[in-house]
Amino acid sequence: MIKTIAKPAEKKVTGCGECRSTCQSACKTSCTVGNQSCERVTREEKIERK
Amino acid sequence: MVHVFAYRDKRYIYDTGSGSLHECDEKTARYLSGDSSEITDEEIRGILAEVGRLREEGLFEKEETSVRPVKSGEIKALCLHVSHDCNLRCRYCFADEGAYHSVREVMTRETARAAIDFLLRESGSRKVLEVDFFGGEPLMNFDVVKDTVRYAKEEGAKLGKRFLFTTTTNGLLLDDETISFLNEEMENVVLSLDGRREVHDAVRKTISGKGSFDAVIEKIKKFVRVRGDKHYYVRGTFTAKNLDFSQDVLFLADQGFDSISMEPVVTDIPDLQIRREHLPIIEKEYELLCEEFLRREERGEGFGFFHFNIDLEGGPCLQKRVSACGAGNEYFSVVPNGDLYPCHQFAGDAKWKMGNVSEGRIDGALRAKFAESCLFTRKKCGDCFAKFICSGGCSANNYHYNGDIEEPYEMTCAMMKKRIECAMHILAERKCREK
Repeated sequence: MIKTIAKPAEKKVTGCGECRSTCQSACKTSCTVGNQSCERVTREEKIERK
Repeated sequence: MVHVFAYRDKRYIYDTGSGSLHECDEKTARYLSGDSSEITDEEIRGILAEVGRLREEGLFEKEETSVRPVKSGEIKALCLHVSHDCNLRCRYCFADEGAYHSVREVMTRETARAAIDFLLRESGSRKVLEVDFFGGEPLMNFDVVKDTVRYAKEEGAKLGKRFLFTTTTNGLLLDDETISFLNEEMENVVLSLDGRREVHDAVRKTISGKGSFDAVIEKIKKFVRVRGDKHYYVRGTFTAKNLDFSQDVLFLADQGFDSISMEPVVTDIPDLQIRREHLPIIEKEYELLCEEFLRREERGEGFGFFHFNIDLEGGPCLQKRVSACGAGNEYFSVVPNGDLYPCHQFAGDAKWKMGNVSEGRIDGALRAKFAESCLFTRKKCGDCFAKFICSGGCSANNYHYNGDIEEPYEMTCAMMKKRIECAMHILAERKCREK
């Protein structure tokens, strides 16, 4: 039995560079991109919600 | 590449190429790990059929990207060391208790403004810029923080650019004025608090040598109460003295903080340093934290923990995931005299000085080294399942522990991998709960 928990959504945009700098996160020592979000997607979702 | 792992009685498959996560039964996990004992031929046929289906959907052994990131050369962010002085004397401070192995000094208004001018000039077409007020303790130079924010907003507006500000503070100077300003102007505020009183006080001491817990706890609580729904992190550090750090995270959650980060100390002080023999205890601790995290979430008393917050369905694009941390190329630290360093953890080390904001010139060779650096230049990362989530780790940690920004530090990697497995388990449990 294999059940899928998560699969990444197709990215509409890639490499636009709008994302925040990784090192500006909370930790300042354990930089990671995994818990960041795509700034452009976040912004577009906000606009859609409006 | 496929990573099969167990979390308590659960079994998971993480496909690095597609970034997808699957839950499976014990026999499937064993078979995929090369152990087919006590698995019948019929069961194997069933497993292969399911794997085939996933493969067709591009969710199993999908080819990984090997395309190197294109780096624009635009600077996105500065960490402004507005104060190389601190009103605490934390034993483990990587910044030499605020002095960065040099004189205690603060940044002048003119230097801070020159740094903003430098960022605006070097930011190319980028519209959103980031400035982090850092120290030492940045609120010891509060007037310059206020002036810099005002100046950046005015100058940015002239060029159609906007700033996101953050501040990292120990909380000691929080009062009505600073709280109001930070809440108004800062996109994110990081507040240093290590957890239980005895843990915090053992290392985070005032200049007179007294523990600082009582001096900051109510101020930080007030700040967070007033903060509303804006971003903040209460950020702790754990050392060899509190390997039971899950208790500190839970203590912080019990104080009403719902956005928490807890990081392993970066130090070579013998009684505080995290050592290899601590790793099994730390891994167990992350599991304990994960279990209680889920229990509380189920009771409706959940809180946020930075490292358990992984979004496999959204999250950044692949280009971002292979670009490494950005230090020394899109992100720089500026120390009080205006000198530039790749990031705050390199600050004060002359070998890594990359220029000065007033000169408006960046060391080309050093910058090229950081611009070239990416996941694929970090050879050890090649066969690691976590690579597209951690992006090759922290360049400074790599350098400080292994002498090379491209050489990941095994201890950091091991902790990162454990946290990621916990985060994946949390995703699975949430999915199960939704159903």
